[in-house]
Amino acid sequence: MKRPRPTRRGGPAAAWHVTEPQAAAYADGSLPETDAWSVEKHVEACAPCAARVSAAVRAGAAAPALADVRAALLAFATADAPAEATAPAEAGAPRAAGDLLPGVSPAPAAPADTAAAGRAGRAPAPQLAGDLSPAPTAHADTPAARHSGPTPAPAADGRTAVAARHAGPEPGGAGGVCARRRGAFRDPRAWMVWAAGPAVRGPWLVALLVTGLVAAGAARAAGMSGVRPLLLALAPVLPSAGVAVSYGRHADPMHELAASTPSGGLRLLLTRTASVLAVSVPLLTLAGQLLPAAAGAPATPAWLLPGLALTLAALALASYVGCRIATCAVTAGWLLAVGGPALLAGAGESGESSLADALSDSLATVLSGPAAQSCWAAAAAVCAGLLALRRTSFDHLERI
Amino acid sequence: MTSAVSVHSVSIHGLTVRHRRTTALDAVDLSFGTGVHGLLGPNGAGKTSLIRVLATVAPPTAGRVELLGGDISAPTHRTSVRRRLGYLPQEFGYYPGFTVREFVAYMAWLKEVPRAKAPAAVERAVARVGLADRIDAKVRTLSGGMVRRAGIAQAIVNDPELLLLDEPTAGLDPEQRVDFRALLRELGRTATVIVSTHLVEDVAAACSEVTVIGGGRVAYRGTPHALAALAAEAGAEDFGDNPIERGYAVALRHHRSGLGGSAGWGAGR
Repeated sequence: MKRPRPTRRGGPAAAWHVTEPQAAAYADGSLPETDAWSVEKHVEACAPCAARVSAAVRAGAAAPALADVRAALLAFATADAPAEATAPAEAGAPRAAGDLLPGVSPAPAAPADTAAAGRAGRAPAPQLAGDLSPAPTAHADTPAARHSGPTPAPAADGRTAVAARHAGPEPGGAGGVCARRRGAFRDPRAWMVWAAGPAVRGPWLVALLVTGLVAAGAARAAGMSGVRPLLLALAPVLPSAGVAVSYGRHADPMHELAASTPSGGLRLLLTRTASVLAVSVPLLTLAGQLLPAAAGAPATPAWLLPGLALTLAALALASYVGCRIATCAVTAGWLLAVGGPALLAGAGESGESSLADALSDSLATVLSGPAAQSCWAAAAAVCAGLLALRRTSFDHLERI
Repeated sequence: MTSAVSVHSVSIHGLTVRHRRTTALDAVDLSFGTGVHGLLGPNGAGKTSLIRVLATVAPPTAGRVELLGGDISAPTHRTSVRRRLGYLPQEFGYYPGFTVREFVAYMAWLKEVPRAKAPAAVERAVARVGLADRIDAKVRTLSGGMVRRAGIAQAIVNDPELLLLDEPTAGLDPEQRVDFRALLRELGRTATVIVSTHLVEDVAAACSEVTVIGGGRVAYRGTPHALAALAAEAGAEDFGDNPIERGYAVALRHHRSGLGGSAGWGAGR
């Protein structure tokens, strides 16, 4: 399929325009990717084609999504305008917002309030882009503000349609996240903290929060005495699970890029481990404090040293077999060591409380008392030493 | 080529890379200096394996690799090389929430670009690949060609002395490729740029030197002009759309039939 492409700058000289069939193919996603790029570049500069494309998109499957975005943006603009704008701009603000989005204000602005609409359009648009974060506003950003007012409203239309095609609307409640991130970027220290542990924001954090909340909730509401030993049994391996989902080529989408940088390897692994511990230790300790005490179970802080030792053991093992396998092995080993005896002891009797008692007993054996804790401290030291000896093995991509 | 103090920023000797039982590179000797170098070769020839070893992400099975004046098997020198390295893998990922600015800034942070210079370096790198108007857009909302350009931006954010690009023009439209070649020529004035590609027109337009790799060995080294002349010498006018394509095919054919030996041939033998 050979056709002339639009020039890069677009403009009136461009001989090529989007045809109706192409617009329809673009809207339903069946246009080949390179052609779609040409269309996207072209509609930035060509109002008639933008109108054609946005009409096609509005007629297509994305219509409900666009309506949602429009409603959200309108609600935002109308709520905000009275507080910020003077009387003439107040009338203009919703119109400017309408220009950003299809179908709200199709009629061109009357000459009388053109200036007001233009002023208002310049004022709220960047703010919208900052606050009502992810999808369309990032695209609509400055060009929309430039164009709002009398002239090519359809162009803004087209861009919004493009944004919707790529991203779709984000669920509500995400507002402000983007602005906060940009703020974090300007403050270098906050940026560092944020950049240190991208995975802390991922599914592992959700799992951790759910564990804590469910444990606390179940214990409070149902009065289950077995929850506390169960949380104690899981707590020492949760941090290393967090490390496994934040580092390594199986877990980290940027791993190959990171591996070519001076910060890749052990330094990045330790940075991520530190951020995982910084999140999980307070959370799990808090959850433990909220639980009612169970007879015979060790005190909650008893898991801290074993948790550190098991995390370091997983890291040291990871220098041989990679993070994922190492974490699985250490987790399985720990759960077998703690849960195995409990299952065997509890199997004879029936009822959950007896199983919980058995788990408490086996936890007490491995966690309680100065002797057990000293052993865990020694194990942590040994694993840390081994990790230091194996430090350069993280410099290359994980094998296998 | 084997003088004690090499003028080459990249010199490799007897480089062998094996993946399980297949040999990707077989005792390759190569050296590269300042300028833009094209790596041509069929799929599976070993281009990506070579780039990944040079990017220090994959260890060589055997052989010596010297980058920017030292052996990269020494951890301290490897770290120093990584600060001065730019690498665009064939495929790369990013965190879903990242904007272009955050993606490039995160890579600048990993590459230890000084904190005071980082924000300006990020904006300059993004502007150089023509994404300045989309700098605060989420990476996942960009088209394939734009993601590729964001990848090129992260590679050049630390003004690398050694820039390794694996199929950088895949997904770029013809116009963007023209712009990209101009950027390559500009970068090649001060840095060693190694570009793996299967598009011979990229090599013709942007590279000062071309290396053809076939079957894990060096099949040809020379200028794009010399490669184009090769086809005329061999009298191969019957296939390919342009002289370089014909030269490339002739070089590979000679390499496969083991006819290496004349001037400019088979540096890997």
